[in-house]
Amino acid sequence: MLRADVLVVGAGPAGCVAAWEAAAAAPGLDVLLIERDDAVGAPVRCAEGVGSAGLREFLNPDGAPWYSRKITKVIFWAPDDSEVRVGGGDIGYILDRTRFEPALADEAKRVGAEIWTGTEAVGMERLNGGWKVRLHGPRGEQDVLAKLVIGADGVESMVGRWAGLDTRVAARDMESCAQYVISNIAVDPDAIYLHFADRWAPGGYAWVFPKGVGVANVGLGLVALKSDGRSACAYLDAYAARYFPDGEVLGRTVGGVIAGVTVKQAVADAVMLAGDAAHMINPLSGGGIVNAMKAGRLAGRHAAAAIAAGDTSARRLNRYRDDWMALLGEDHIKYYRIKEALGKLDDAFFNRLARTVNAIPVEQRTLGRIFAHALVNHPRLIPVAARLFL
Amino acid sequence: MPPAPPRRIAAVDHDACDECGLCLPLCPPAAIRLTRRGLAVDAKTCTGCVKCIAPCPVGALAMVDA
Ligand SMILES: Cc1cc2nc3c(=O)[nH]c(=O)nc-3n(C[C@H](O)[C@H](O)[C@H](O)COP(=O)(O)OP(=O)(O)OC[C@H]3O[C@@H](n4cnc5c(N)ncnc54)[C@H](O)[C@@H]3O)c2cc1C
Ligand code: SF4
Ligand code: SF4
Repeated sequence: MLRADVLVVGAGPAGCVAAWEAAAAAPGLDVLLIERDDAVGAPVRCAEGVGSAGLREFLNPDGAPWYSRKITKVIFWAPDDSEVRVGGGDIGYILDRTRFEPALADEAKRVGAEIWTGTEAVGMERLNGGWKVRLHGPRGEQDVLAKLVIGADGVESMVGRWAGLDTRVAARDMESCAQYVISNIAVDPDAIYLHFADRWAPGGYAWVFPKGVGVANVGLGLVALKSDGRSACAYLDAYAARYFPDGEVLGRTVGGVIAGVTVKQAVADAVMLAGDAAHMINPLSGGGIVNAMKAGRLAGRHAAAAIAAGDTSARRLNRYRDDWMALLGEDHIKYYRIKEALGKLDDAFFNRLARTVNAIPVEQRTLGRIFAHALVNHPRLIPVAARLFL
Repeated sequence: MPPAPPRRIAAVDHDACDECGLCLPLCPPAAIRLTRRGLAVDAKTCTGCVKCIAPCPVGALAMVDA
């Protein structure tokens, strides 16, 4: 039977970085990364926005071919379409994930990890202290005996379930998303737009993330329990017809964002989950790319250390979850409480908030000042803020 | 005795399904499988709980008689 020290399932940001870190931490370690899709990075089910600071921990964007647009502004649209601009300089990037993930995968290869595309895991069982994982791919059907499995298999993750972990998601925590790439539209190509309105995206928001001049990822996420029964795609059709009637739709994608908190059990004996597979997404923003990379980095390092120590028990691997919770997981629990509190506010509230914020001169509009101002003028935000800082 | 009503289970419209994977974590008994050959609902495992139906972004899931 084929053997590997670490088998990473899924070559998204979490899996690529996990393979990269594990191989880099222990030269000589056999790291195999498998990806169901025929290419790493495609198809794209994502708006591709990342913050600069988080991105730079992994790859340097300066002059890189794997991003579409540098972002220097954030524009909020209130439910009544009033606009709030927040300047900010080096805010972030809109990636080109069809190139970004291959760049991450190249780093993993450079340090010795092996990558098989077009290859899926279809089941696994315990064997000799590790896991026998069944693979389907161009090499046919085969089993691989892995000392440790990292499940970086995204929203559709099965690795956790195969290992007996509870990775179910409640419907209220699932954002159903649809997105078009639309050209021939007049938006600021240096800004991302976030549009909060129950009418257009109940329980979530709509976004416009530029890919270039006149072309952008236009999408929305909603909670089906709060919708009027139409699908996310139907909501997006209505949204695009209203705001971008002259735009040309170049492509469509759909997907799910788990807007909850990290799973209670992110490890089992000889198994670790990272990224969307472990619900490691920021529940307020729905951003998960940088989180997935940070989780992948922790998982890769802990995997290498556990194998070197000859102890891949859940008890030891729990150090990984502890590190994750300290890094971001605890923050996500706070963000989740804010999300729940914000869900109780109505559109009229956000319209008033937008007007208040627009009374602050744009050059003084930092997020901190907006927040302070909002607290004074909208006491209903105080419990929300209290939850953020407690 | 009137005949028992037929058991209702989820079924996928393969032409509409985009294979996004969103419905898998919503399914309590893990009756939904996604592979390179597409999405499949295991009729024996599905309990008919309807949790997967509404969130599908393209409306590809519906309840049918088992
Ligand atoms: C519409 C939409 C917009 C989004 N916009 C943003 C955004 O702007 N910014 C942001 O930060 N985040 C965004 N997200 C979230 C972001 O896409 C995810 O959080 C991120 O991709 C998670 O990375 P990951 O590596 O955990 O999982 P993924 O990127 O999902 O990678 C998992 C990989 O595993 C593979 N796989 C699954 N099962 C198997 C198997 N059995 N065998 C082999 N391979 C398998 C899959 O094919 C996939 O390639 C968005 C999500 C959606 C749906
Ligand atoms: S949520 Fe809908 S589109 Fe996505 S995989 Fe399930 S059935 Fe297919
Ligand atoms: S109806 Fe319930 S049990 Fe059946 S596939 Fe959908 S979520 Fe799973």
